[in-house]
Parts: sequence; structure tokens; C-alpha cells
Amino acid sequence: MKRTRQKETKNLILTGVGGQGNVMASRTLAGMLVDAGYIVTIGETFGMSQRGGSVMSHLRISPDSVKSPQIPRGRADVIVALEPLEALRVLTVYGNPQVCVLSNARPVYPIGVITGELSYPSEDNIQVAFQQLSKAFWIIDATSAALALGNPVLSNIVMIGALAKTGFLPIDRRMFEKEIKKTLAADKCAVNLKAYDAGGEMIK
Amino acid sequence: MKNKPSSQTKLKKDVLEQSLCTGCGACVGLCPYQVVYRDRTVQLHNCDLTDGKCYAFCPRTPTDYRKIWEILFEIDEMTPEIGAVKGYYLSRAADPALRAKAQHGGTVTALLEVAMDEGLIDSAIVSSRNEEIEQEGRLVEAKSQLGDYAKSKFTVSPTVAAFNRVMGDTAGKVGVVATPCQALALAKMKTARINDDLKINQLNLVIGLFCGWTLSVESFHRLLQQYQISPEAVTGMDIPAGKNVLELYTNASVTSVPMVEVDACVRTACRYCIDSTAEFADLSVGAARFGGDCDEMRGWNQIIVRSEFGKQVMELAVARGALEIWEAPASALQDLKNVAAEKKRKALKNIVEKSRSVKNLLYLNSDDPVVKKYLK
Amino acid sequence: MTKLLSPAKSKVLFLGNEAIARGALEAGVAVATGYPGTPSSEVIESLAHVASERNLYVEWSVNEKVALEVAAAASFAGLRSMAVMKQNGVNVASDFLLHLTASGTRGGLVLVSCEDPGALSSVNEGESRYFARMLEMPLLEPSDFQEAKDLTKWAFELSEQIGNVVMLRSVTRMSHASGNVICGKLPVKSRKAHFEYNGSVMDSSRGPMISTPVVAKHLLHQQKLKVVEALFEKSPFNRYVGAAKPELLIITSSACFLYAEEAIELLGLQKRVGILKLGTTWPLPPKLLEKHLRQTTKILIVEEVMPFLEENVKVLAAGLVNRIGAKTFFGKYDETLPSVGELNPDIVAAALCYILKVKSKTLPANYLSDSRKAAALIPAREQTFCAGCPHRASFWNIHNAIALDGHKGFVCGDIGCYSMAALSPATGYHTMPTLHSMGSGTGLASGFAKLAQFGLDKPILTVCGDSTFYHAVIPALINAQHNRADITFIVLDNAGTAMTGFQPHPGLAISAMKEVVPALDIAAICSAIGAKVAVSDPFDLETTGKILTSFLADKGSLKVLILRQACALSPEKKGKKIFEVKVNESLCLGDACGCNRLCTRIFRCPALTWDRTKNKAVVDEVICAGCGVCVSICPQKAIIKL
Repeated sequence: MKRTRQKETKNLILTGVGGQGNVMASRTLAGMLVDAGYIVTIGETFGMSQRGGSVMSHLRISPDSVKSPQIPRGRADVIVALEPLEALRVLTVYGNPQVCVLSNARPVYPIGVITGELSYPSEDNIQVAFQQLSKAFWIIDATSAALALGNPVLSNIVMIGALAKTGFLPIDRRMFEKEIKKTLAADKCAVNLKAYDAGGEMIK
Repeated sequence: MKNKPSSQTKLKKDVLEQSLCTGCGACVGLCPYQVVYRDRTVQLHNCDLTDGKCYAFCPRTPTDYRKIWEILFEIDEMTPEIGAVKGYYLSRAADPALRAKAQHGGTVTALLEVAMDEGLIDSAIVSSRNEEIEQEGRLVEAKSQLGDYAKSKFTVSPTVAAFNRVMGDTAGKVGVVATPCQALALAKMKTARINDDLKINQLNLVIGLFCGWTLSVESFHRLLQQYQISPEAVTGMDIPAGKNVLELYTNASVTSVPMVEVDACVRTACRYCIDSTAEFADLSVGAARFGGDCDEMRGWNQIIVRSEFGKQVMELAVARGALEIWEAPASALQDLKNVAAEKKRKALKNIVEKSRSVKNLLYLNSDDPVVKKYLK
Repeated sequence: MTKLLSPAKSKVLFLGNEAIARGALEAGVAVATGYPGTPSSEVIESLAHVASERNLYVEWSVNEKVALEVAAAASFAGLRSMAVMKQNGVNVASDFLLHLTASGTRGGLVLVSCEDPGALSSVNEGESRYFARMLEMPLLEPSDFQEAKDLTKWAFELSEQIGNVVMLRSVTRMSHASGNVICGKLPVKSRKAHFEYNGSVMDSSRGPMISTPVVAKHLLHQQKLKVVEALFEKSPFNRYVGAAKPELLIITSSACFLYAEEAIELLGLQKRVGILKLGTTWPLPPKLLEKHLRQTTKILIVEEVMPFLEENVKVLAAGLVNRIGAKTFFGKYDETLPSVGELNPDIVAAALCYILKVKSKTLPANYLSDSRKAAALIPAREQTFCAGCPHRASFWNIHNAIALDGHKGFVCGDIGCYSMAALSPATGYHTMPTLHSMGSGTGLASGFAKLAQFGLDKPILTVCGDSTFYHAVIPALINAQHNRADITFIVLDNAGTAMTGFQPHPGLAISAMKEVVPALDIAAICSAIGAKVAVSDPFDLETTGKILTSFLADKGSLKVLILRQACALSPEKKGKKIFEVKVNESLCLGDACGCNRLCTRIFRCPALTWDRTKNKAVVDEVICAGCGVCVSICPQKAIIKL
């Protein structure tokens, strides 16, 4: 599939909970886009913030220049979330009527919810909020797909596959394969490609 | 939202922080939050439940004594000094070997053995001592082992905690050997009927022990240190009549510690206790040392029979030839009452000194007729 | 081939820290040292990765001061070297640094400080730019990824040219951000180490490397800075973007340049606002500043944390007032920008709106109101120990031992993932009320333990991680033992520098370059000091609890407990469960149990959750690491290991 070259800067936020493979996913995406000739800036935080907290990577995909590693409020074009609550959290800060949301369905409960002090919003509440605050959204069960492939950590790759299928970014399977081959062994590549494909199948 | 303080918080404020905790173990073993460490009750983590059993069963939270009396005893047998008296005797185990192992007359062990033999109880909870002279409640299921625990220890044991642990288990019908505070806790459990908990019906027999005070483990260890005795070397202790000393036995020696020094180690909570005869037990047993010729009484117990079931157990023990009893002289009962009344007076005086008001009697109610009588 | 060694002219996506590492490689760095600390660690990590290919010596040093000393030795021997650390590491290194700037250097020596405005992964918002002014050394600040590489390379050349150390400062949003970089050439030739010291004391290239005679050398040192100032006037790393005579001039450096650019674009103020972006921020180039200050009367200084640039620009402007006239300055002093925390494009845009009286575009009102409603539904996500983290079990043990002991003991905290016990008190079960710098927990404990004569008579505990132990705890521990401080010192030994990504430390038999090295045993070191030492597994609650309670009761001496259990994220453990843990639903009594949800309400493991419909505990198989500790705490024994 031939993709048309994007002329404007695209702002993508990849979010989730520490340990879900957020950083790996954003670097993989960025690597694909750099190879495609874009100027990519990623802003992320890791270290202590990873420990069970919310994590966020800001990807700026520009045809010509380096951008601030932090996207201004209300300026996200695409939000990809490995956890639905984090999708909502990012959406309420960086969302706008044009934003598209792709979210994993499986919740990771914050400690305050586990202890009983706080409540996790219901599936309905989350759906309604997505509906009100985005142009289009998809909620897919990436974790179950990853578990079916034998490792929940593949959820991030499932999400990349799904993201590619939505067509928001100028990326495709060939670029993904080339990118992961740079760092992963052949057997790992195979399962990652399966995860990528599983993600694509979830977007109708 | 939460206006009601949690039971745990109330327990902390009303009992632990007031130094009223007797270490009986009533609040322990019901949940993961209260535990006993050495002889102290420790609240490990916060619990926000209200209407908890921990507060309800504690012998140092407000108690409706009248209600317990009505349920457990005959009201017309009540005495202000020593609670219900159905009968009063001098007693000792018939078996001389058992008497030799015991602190005094071996009555408690003899009663437990018979109760077990006759199937009145399947197991017994007694207190046992570890090397540090810390006590723990121990479930004994074999009659032959009962005699091994037949010694006075002078420090508190969280016996009720052991009962809480075995409730609902395979222990069957349980007999408990309890100090006054423990007997009160068990009586509160029996009469409270929280959540219609049927497990309490396993509690079949409470044998009370007379108790003047217990020692704080920490202070007592310091005292032992002064006498250069290691806690694990102590094999026994006694307060021989008329000498005003505590004798400490080790395999090598006997050390006499003046009672003034021992008094300083008494657990603070015991100073506020008005019960010296375990008024809420089925039967209460103590050393026969009040009145008469002291030496002659050595090797004997005095026993107060309080409940109908207690009476049955004692009569059975006599009938089986396990227990010898004498009708005690009336003067002995009067002496016992005098001593018990004196403890009540002293405890109430200590309570008023602490609260600085005759209207605030901490865990006691100033309208209670017994309290009124001795609050002078 | 690793990305870091990409051929010249290739376009690569580098993490800011990788760009710094690449710059060092292009400069021909021979020796690189550091101590792990977010956001700096990836510089040394990526260099270690290519050490054998590039014939480098790369070391994780025991602490930042030693790292700088090791790097300085290479410089004295004529090699190019660098020492890399996070902001507060510069404080650790500063004593040596003071003397180093006074003695001067030979081979190019670059001190890289990666700072953390907003303290995203720090317990301070330390600012090391002031060291450049205080210790009179050049300061460079890259503002994008290409510059991070190029400026690093130039820093070595500059250092060599002036014979003194050069500081390069990055921030989290540079070090931990990624962007495109066009690679330059990697040098082919390498230098030979040679240390010459027989020349005269004032001969900086052949004499001894010392800071005396102090006054004479200090003058020499300041003359070097004058040379730097002149070089900075012409530096291509300082540049101006905007109209010739802007209404407002922004002066900025570092990632703040990108925020400023974005803010101008957001508001469409390209014609009204110009930006003077400085890559060389100390000493400031006065002529360049004068040239730009002349063009306008309003100046906004955009920088994070302290008003370093603002103060220096104002001092310069004050001296030039006769030539450039009076100016209005906006920045931190007048509170146009916040005086704390990190900046972002929105904050800079708000400042521009305020100064230029413009309004930013907002989202539709109904969208904003829906957004606010949705935001109200979102529960906070607190940081916490990972599922399977040994620290949770350790603090559970510590809490219980303190409670059982009953004398209201407390723990002096230290730096590592376990700092979370102080940052979010319930995570550490409310045991850890102090938290400062590396090793200071033990120092504080040593002090608290001496306060009994003044009425503070409590058991004093302190914790530190294995890496922290070597970094700065040993002197404090020796102090405690020598001065008879009665403390219980607990080493949370999780077999690596876990928080920053498992860098090796002196306790491990492997070096940064994956060579086998001698491992120093913490227990043996503590025994040698004369402490009572015990070792336990924190997952064994019973044994660990017994040791701790006995230590707390054991008065008058230094007790050491080493709690050994590898980090749940460590390479050897990650993704592998020790046990399959499940809740037996028939045993879990839920709300009917007297446990009041101890497992979820108090224990706080992210994998052990509560099913609000079933009213029972449930283990999330995706998150659970299988440590099995929760099995030991359920009073109903409803949590089981399979």
C-alpha cells in the first residue's frame, strides 16, 4: 500500500502504566517514521515514574523540523493507550474535537482503587467520554490477544498493528518488520509480527 | 462520611493508651490487625471497621455486668465481693504425683482431667511459658499433657487469643483456664452474641484463677537482670505466705526478691482491676492461704463454685475420686471476701487517681451497685 | 552494528543521551565514567556497549566524585574523557571539581550534568548551572538532539583549547527525549596516555597538576575564561530566530528553546517575538548579548528551575545601560514564569499572552465542559512498588517489627526505588519520615541515635540499597559504629542499581564493560566494621521478622540486616513467575471476613485487586510477578501458590 506523505506535524501520544512497554512501542514507531524520512521528536519520562505510575510518550512527526518534546494541551491528533483510564486521562488534557483514540480495553487498577479509596470509572462512562471527546475511537482487547500469543507484554505491539490499520500514521507492516529486525532475534520477530497482525485484525 | 470512630481506634484510645490493657488476648486472633508481642497488645495496621468484636469483647471496655450475671449465674447467689457463690470449698487433687507438679493443690488440673475424661470438653486452653517468661495460650488435646502446664507464671498470657484461634477449628468443646480479666472477656463473648456467632458455643467450661496482679515482662526482665538471673533459667516462682517476698527458683538456687521490688514490676493495668477471684468463671480456684494456719494450708486450693455446670464438674471430679474437697470454714470465706473487697477499693482509688474524677471511672460505670459500694 | 556507531552522514533517531554519547565518540573520547542517575544513565550505558569496538575504558564508578577523578586522571594523561551524572551528582563531585578547575586539565575533559527540572525522577530540583559560575568553568546547553551531539563534540575541543574542564548541561526533556541526528565522522586514530609532571609548577602542560600557588593559578584560571568568552561570541550554537527588531526578545537555552518556538507558533507571533537561543550560557558572550538587547526594550528570559540566565543577562545589561538603554525584563523575578517546576509550551504561551496582551485559541466551550466532567471521573494513579518488588515485603517486615517492638521506632530513608516509602507514606506502611541524599539516611540515623540524652529514645532504623551502600553509606556507617550509635541498618539488596536500569555496582562481579571484576561483599564489609550482621530473604516474613524484632530489642550497638532478593524487573526475573498465585474463592470470605481487606486495603500490591461485584480478592495474572508474599498475609489462607 502506498502512503501519501504527510505535510503537517502529527502529534501522537502513547500512554499506559509503567511496565506495559510504552517506551519500546514509541521508539519502534519513531524508528519506522525516521526511516520514512520524517523528523521525529519523542518526549518521554522514565525512571521512578515507571513504577506503577502513569507513563506517556509524546511523538511529534514532522516533515521538516524538530518539535518540542512536550505537546501543548489540546493538541494531540492521535492517542494510543495501553490502558483505558490512561487514555481518558490523556484525552482530558490533550484532546480536541478532531482527536482519534485507540485504547486497550483491559484496566490496570490504580492503588487507590485497589485500596478502596477511589473508584475506577465504568466501561460505559469511559465509552461515553471517548464518544464526547474524540472524532473516532477504538477499544480493543490487546492484552487478551497478547496473552493468546503467550506473553501479555506483546500488547504494545498489538496496539501498533491496530494503529497501522487505522491509517493515522504513514506506517505499514514492511516498515515494522524492518524496524524490529534491527534489534530482535528472528524468533522474537516472528511472534511480534503475529502480534502486529492480530492488532490489525481488530480494527474493522 | 465516617463519623463513627473505628473499634480499633476506640480500643486504642480507651484501653491501650490508658494503660488498661490486661494482655488477655480477647482482641487478638479475630483479625490480622491486633497481635500480642511479648505481653503487649499491638495494633499492626489500621482497621476502619466499626462494631468490631475487638472492642466488644475487651474486658476493659464498658460492660453490662448485670446482664452477664443474669445470663450466667443465679442472681440470688451474687455477692458484691467475689461474685456468684454456689459453693465454697478447700480442695486438692487426689493424686499426690499431680500435686507435686502443681503450684498448690493441683485442683485445676484434676478438674480438667475429669472434664476431658467424661467428654465434657475435648480440649483445654492453658497458658504455657517460653524461655523469655512470655506466655502464650496453648491448646492441649491430650489429658496426659495437662499437668505440664500446672504452675503459676505471674505474667499474663493471651489465653483468649488462643481460644479465638481455635474457634471453629477441630478443637471441639473447649475448656479454658482463665485469669479474672480473661474470664470476663470470655463471659462477654458468651453473652454478646454478635452476628449470632455460634462458634462461642464451643466454649464449655471456664476455670478461673485467683489473681492479685501480673508482672510486666519488660520490667520483670529488668529486675531479673539486676539479680543476674537469665529469664530462661527460672524454673518456678512462688510467693510463700507471710514472707513478703517472691521466690525465684532456678536449678541452682532460690532467690528471694522483696515484694517492694516486685510491686514496681506489676503491670499497670492490674492496678485498675477490681476482680481477684475470676468472678465470671464456672469455677474459680486459688491457693488456700487466706486465714487459718498458713503452713497447714500449703498444698491445698480454695475453690468457688459459681455456675450450675461448674458444680457438676466439681461433683463429678469428687465422685471419680480425682478431687478431695473439704467444706471450708465460714471464716475462710469471710477472709477471702475481705481481701477481695480490699482489692476492689484499692483499684477504684487508683482509677480515680488516674481519671481525677469520681464521675470518670474509665471502664467502670459509677452507677454499678458494686462499684458504688467500694468507691469510698 | 549498534546504532551508536552508525556511519557518518546517516540520519538516526537518538535519545538525547545517545546523542551526547555519539558526540563524545566523534570527539575521540577514551575514558568515560559516571554513576547511574535519572536522567543521565544512558550516556555511560551506550558508551559501555561500544567500549570494546571503540577501545574505550568505561566505568560505573562508586560515586560521582570518584567518577570525575577517574576521568580527570585520563585527562591529565592527555586523553579525552568525560564524567556523567545527574544534577545532584555534581554536588557530590563538587569538592574535587573545585580543585580540578583550579589545577586545570590537559586532554579534553567534559563534565555532563543531566538535570531534572520538575523532579520527575528525583527528590530535588537541583540546579548545577551555578557551579559553572561559582567554579569559573564554561557551560554549554544543547537545545535539540543534533546539538546534543555537536555541542558535546565541541566541548572536548574547547576543554582542550583552554586546558580546563567544560560542563555540558542537559535536562530530562533533552536526555530522555529522542530526535533525529545526522552523524559525523568517528575518528580513526587514538591517543597514547602520557602523564608529564616534571615541568615548572606554572607550566600547565608539563608541570604537576595542583591548584597551588593558589592566587597565581586562580588568575590563570580566570584568563582562560576570558578566552572562552571571546570564543562564545562567535559560536554557531548561539543563534537568533525572528524579526530584526522584535517587539519582545526571548533569551533562552536548552529544551526551553523548543517550548518557546512552539509557543510562538501556537500564538502566531512569529513577527512580533524573536528568540536568542544560547548554547553557551557561561560565561555569556557580552557583545552578542549587547547586539540583541539593543533591538528591543522588552526581554523575556525562558529557563527552568533557577533564574541563572536571567541574573546573568541582567548583570550584563546593567553594565551596558548607557549604550543599550533601560529594559523591561520578564522572567522568574517578576513571576511571569513559575519559579519552580519544569516548563512546557503552554506555560511559555501563557507568559507571551500576558506580556503581549494576546489571547490563545481555546477549544469549544461544550468540549471543555465535557472534558472537565470526564476528568472528574479519573482516579489518581499513585506510584507504587511493582508487583513482586522485594521492597514491599521489606517494608512490611520493617513496619511490623517497629509495631511489635512498640517503642515508636522510625526509618531514615535513602535514595532508590525504596524512596517511594517516603514519597507516598502508605507504600512504606508509614515507617519512613526522612529522605534526603544518597547515604544520608545512615548519617541521620547515626545522629538520631545520639539523642537519647536529650529525651529522644526510640529505636532508629535506616535503609539503603546495595548500590547506595557503596556510593555514600560506608563513611556514615563507620561513623555510627565508631560513635556507638545504636541503629538497625537495613540493606535492601536487590542485586543491582534497579531504579536506573540495573547498572552494575561494586557488589557485583561484572563491570560496565561486562568484564569479570571482584565483587565486594556488603556483609563482610559490615562485619569488618564490627557490626552484628544478619542476612535474610524479605519474602520470608517469619525469619526476617524475628531478626528485626530481636535487633530492635538489642540495645547499644550497630546491627546490620541485609535483605537479599533480586528486583522483580531484573533481567533474571522479569517475565518469570516464582509461583502462580491465585485466590481460592471458596476460602476468601470477602466483606464477611474480619480481615477488612488487609490484602488490598493495606498491602497495596498492584497485582492483588478487589472484585467489587464478587466481594473477593483477585490476582491479576497479567501483573502478578508471583513472589507469593501475599500468600503469607491472608489470615484465611485463601491466597494460594499453585
